[in-house]
Amino acid sequence: MNLFFRKSIIAGTGLFLCIFLIVHLSANCILLLPEDISREMYNTYSTTLRESPLIKIVAYLLYASIFLHTAYAAIVTYQNRNAKPDRYAVNNAKENSSWTSQNMGLLGILVLLFIVVHLANFWARIKLGMGAEVAMDNSGNLDVYQVTYSLFQNPYYVAFYTILAIPLGMHLHHGLKSAFKTLGFHHKRGLKVLSKVSLIYAAVMSIGFGIIPVIVYFK
Amino acid sequence: MKVTLRIWRQEGPIDKGELKEYLVDDLTEDMSFLEALDHLNEQLVLKNEKVIAYEYDCREGICGQCGLFINGRAHGPHDHMTTCQLHMRSFADGDTITVEPWRAKAFPIVKDLIVDRSAFDRIIGQGAYISAKTGTAPEANSILISKEVSDKAMDAAACIGCGACVATCKNASAALFTSAKINHLNSLPQGKPESHHRALDMTKQMEKEGFGHCTFTGACEVECPEGISITNIAEMNARLIRAKVMN
Amino acid sequence: MVLNAKIPEGKLEEKWRNYQISSQLINPANKKKLKVIVVGSGLAGAGAAATLGELGYEVQCFCYQDSARRAHSVAAQGGVNAAKNYQHDGDSVWRMYYDTIKGGDFRSREANVYRLAELSAPLIDHFTQQGVPFAREYGGVLVNRSFGGVQVERTFYARGQTGQQLLLAAYSQLSKMVRAGKVEMFTRHEMLDLVTVEGKARGIIARDLVNGELKRFAADAVVLATGGYSRVFRLSTLAIGCNGSAIWKAHKRGAFFAAPSFTQIHPTALPQSSEAQSKLTLMSESLRNDGRIWVPSNKDDKRSANDIPEAERDYYLERRYPSFGNLAPRDISSRAAKERIDAGHGVGRLKNAVYLDFSHAIQRLGLETIRDRYGNLFKMYKKITGIDAYKEPMQISPAAHFSMGGLWVDYELMTTIPGLYAIGECNFSDHGANRLGANSLLQASVDGYFILPNTINNYLSSLLKEEPVSTDHHSFSQAEKEISEHIQKILSINGTQTADHFHRQLGRVMWQECAMSRNKSGLEKAIKDIEEIKTDFWKDVKVTGGSLELNTELEKALRLADFIELALLMCTDALNRDESCGAHFREEYQTKDGEAVRVDEDYSFVSAWEYANGDFKLHKEELQFEFIKPTVRSYK
Repeated sequence: MNLFFRKSIIAGTGLFLCIFLIVHLSANCILLLPEDISREMYNTYSTTLRESPLIKIVAYLLYASIFLHTAYAAIVTYQNRNAKPDRYAVNNAKENSSWTSQNMGLLGILVLLFIVVHLANFWARIKLGMGAEVAMDNSGNLDVYQVTYSLFQNPYYVAFYTILAIPLGMHLHHGLKSAFKTLGFHHKRGLKVLSKVSLIYAAVMSIGFGIIPVIVYFK
Repeated sequence: MKVTLRIWRQEGPIDKGELKEYLVDDLTEDMSFLEALDHLNEQLVLKNEKVIAYEYDCREGICGQCGLFINGRAHGPHDHMTTCQLHMRSFADGDTITVEPWRAKAFPIVKDLIVDRSAFDRIIGQGAYISAKTGTAPEANSILISKEVSDKAMDAAACIGCGACVATCKNASAALFTSAKINHLNSLPQGKPESHHRALDMTKQMEKEGFGHCTFTGACEVECPEGISITNIAEMNARLIRAKVMN
Repeated sequence: MVLNAKIPEGKLEEKWRNYQISSQLINPANKKKLKVIVVGSGLAGAGAAATLGELGYEVQCFCYQDSARRAHSVAAQGGVNAAKNYQHDGDSVWRMYYDTIKGGDFRSREANVYRLAELSAPLIDHFTQQGVPFAREYGGVLVNRSFGGVQVERTFYARGQTGQQLLLAAYSQLSKMVRAGKVEMFTRHEMLDLVTVEGKARGIIARDLVNGELKRFAADAVVLATGGYSRVFRLSTLAIGCNGSAIWKAHKRGAFFAAPSFTQIHPTALPQSSEAQSKLTLMSESLRNDGRIWVPSNKDDKRSANDIPEAERDYYLERRYPSFGNLAPRDISSRAAKERIDAGHGVGRLKNAVYLDFSHAIQRLGLETIRDRYGNLFKMYKKITGIDAYKEPMQISPAAHFSMGGLWVDYELMTTIPGLYAIGECNFSDHGANRLGANSLLQASVDGYFILPNTINNYLSSLLKEEPVSTDHHSFSQAEKEISEHIQKILSINGTQTADHFHRQLGRVMWQECAMSRNKSGLEKAIKDIEEIKTDFWKDVKVTGGSLELNTELEKALRLADFIELALLMCTDALNRDESCGAHFREEYQTKDGEAVRVDEDYSFVSAWEYANGDFKLHKEELQFEFIKPTVRSYK
């Protein structure tokens, strides 16, 4: 039961994060609009988010999810390694399973790295007020658009965000479908659909998050 | 044909093991892989060396006693096959073949290529049965079971208990083995009365034995000689939720 | 010594009930004080151990494999017979009894066979309750199919894995009793000797196969459920570890060995392909339900099977046995195949096989139906041979399979040693000179679940007054000393040949002279050859490694030493029986068209051999046929 409980925490928090990503990406799409519309819209949107009490709760859930997901993944990985202390001299795992599924831990660490840098770039500046002060836009909202825009004028950041969107997509591809299975979804045809949905979802997220910095860079 | 076998030799559970190389000659493509090992063992005897310990019994893919990790795959290079069903025609003349024992903390090495899989017996002992005594059965056809349900139960019941799922799983998870048994019995009307305890007790024992978590790599269902689907694990999880809620 | 089969009084259908009414009972409090050893964890052993545990006895169960679930019952594919008459096709307990006794060529005991048929229906109920996923119709009822040697459909099956499913049910029930603390399971333990005290079975000496230690186990009764001994032929359908050592050791301690030469050659195994081969894989006889067996009419036909036109195919079973056709009993089918192969019509690379063709069945029933019925067998066939049997016929060949012979037991399944029981394939009881398909799972299960638990009390009740024997008793130390010396002797020979080398030699002799057809001079020669193999073995075998470690080579050699002696007895028995009956076909006793000639006047008895210092003494249990008359067994 504990094996199952631990995996359920990872699956549950993972699914919550998956939903969050949809909202996050949709909002980010505002950045793709022409500058005159998008700056206004993006800044209004982020102000609304910051001031909504409901979003505050969601934000704490989000922090908790990231923490639990990571902590339990660490525990599970540690225990899994203990369950298999001796490794094979020759192991052809690629013949029976995908590389992604064999390396969720590694992919997870990359995603975590992504999140940490991302939080440092935005969350720390905007919410914690660290680093250079954020200016106001014409409507009196914090000019988050400008923060984003200027960050992605740096080609290193663009490269970092774009490249790390790949492991993110891989992590999501395996994570989404196996989260459902962990939580007991076992309908035969449903699983086939789920497999496709996971692929599409992961591709959209990966391409979406990966391409926005590039577009902003060239804007 | 002629092949080089790199075989794990280990005197006992706490001894240090190593891969040793053996050149084996006079093999034919028709020989099974185990027959090639038999052949090597006969040569070792004649050279006054100790034979390699490995397991087998029925040699027709049903008893589940054989199990070797061959060239990086549980039961060798093919999907859905036992070691005893592997033939030398799957290899080329001059190949080097690495043979290792199943590796998992819950399957300690006994000697050379033999591991102790009694953890499986103990999982079974925690509820993989129907607690009715001999002599208490009602007329067989008084329990109607649709062909669909019965076929599905049979799919899960086909498990031979070889441990390839554990061997191939990077986490040494026994979820496929355990779920197959739980689903076999819990999906039948006969198994209903004890279904919740069965699911809870067997998975608890699975953890106690030191098996890891299932992370759905899917390797197990590929190596399973009976092709037992990984969907069984998802179904077991659903049963666990139900059992937890009901209890 | 006069053999007393202890057959109860009364009409055939009342005998078992009468027995149960008159046998001694033991109250639950006393059962706890009684200890039973069960050797073997197959259907018979696991069934008996679990049921005895449920009844309250203290049970110790042994198997040489790493788990009770590996026992070779697991490999039976086709099914289990029961006189349920679900198909409404005229089946009944009487019909099943008659089919079985006729199938055995009237060389088995009426009362035993009737009881087997009588208990078959409750056995299906039992296994269904234990969760065996037997095949079912869409409406939810159980399905049946037909099997060799009968004209009704009474075989229940779970895909092609019936034995596995029944064994797993037995293993589950056994595991339940292990958890309950009523059965202690000893895996990787091999019984090496029986211990008797004052003529009664009182325990065993077993070798722990992991560390090689010899261990003593005392009990109030010992039950042997160690399966068949067809590995005496080396190449057989049996598991590699199957052996005759336990029953052979019991035989040497005084248990009579009955009908040792009655061994069944199965018609549908995969042909041998090389000298190095270790086993012959069985393809379930159920395949003969829908498959048609044929060979090319022309000798040495070089064409591939699909290129041979219908007119040039010889469906020899349908030709010779029109009413049973491809479902003729095993002994007859095997011999017919041998006859065709010997006549030069064999197919395959070594010309040692016949075709089993499904093309007609696929046309008639559709691919899906065939896949549903035999899918896993076709898959297995492909794995081993690389051939797709949906597209071209399978190649099959006869192989040593089941031993009808075994320790002589009475109606209570007790051997001639008081307190020693033999159940399942290792006894000689129900199958006579030939076993019908799907009757072996039945017999093993019925013996273990229903009969032994109801007869052992009759003996054990008498022991309540006696002091239990401890393992310190000198009989134990003596037996342990003997077996230890035996092991040391084998290890010290340090010759030039492996155990397998001698086993191959033994197998060749036995397959040549004591398998499908036998004759006087051949058997006499075989006995001489085996004596030579025995001498050579004890002079020239080489076993490396020590006794106090896991040593698979030593295990092989120990088993082979017993097989060699058993082979001598098999040939002696075959030589003694001047008639052809069932699987025992003596070339001197056949009709013009090659059918068996039974000699009821002289041989209507069960031969029970007593071990007498390296020699064998024959005792006869005359067979009384009160309820049916032996007829010429015709399947034409």
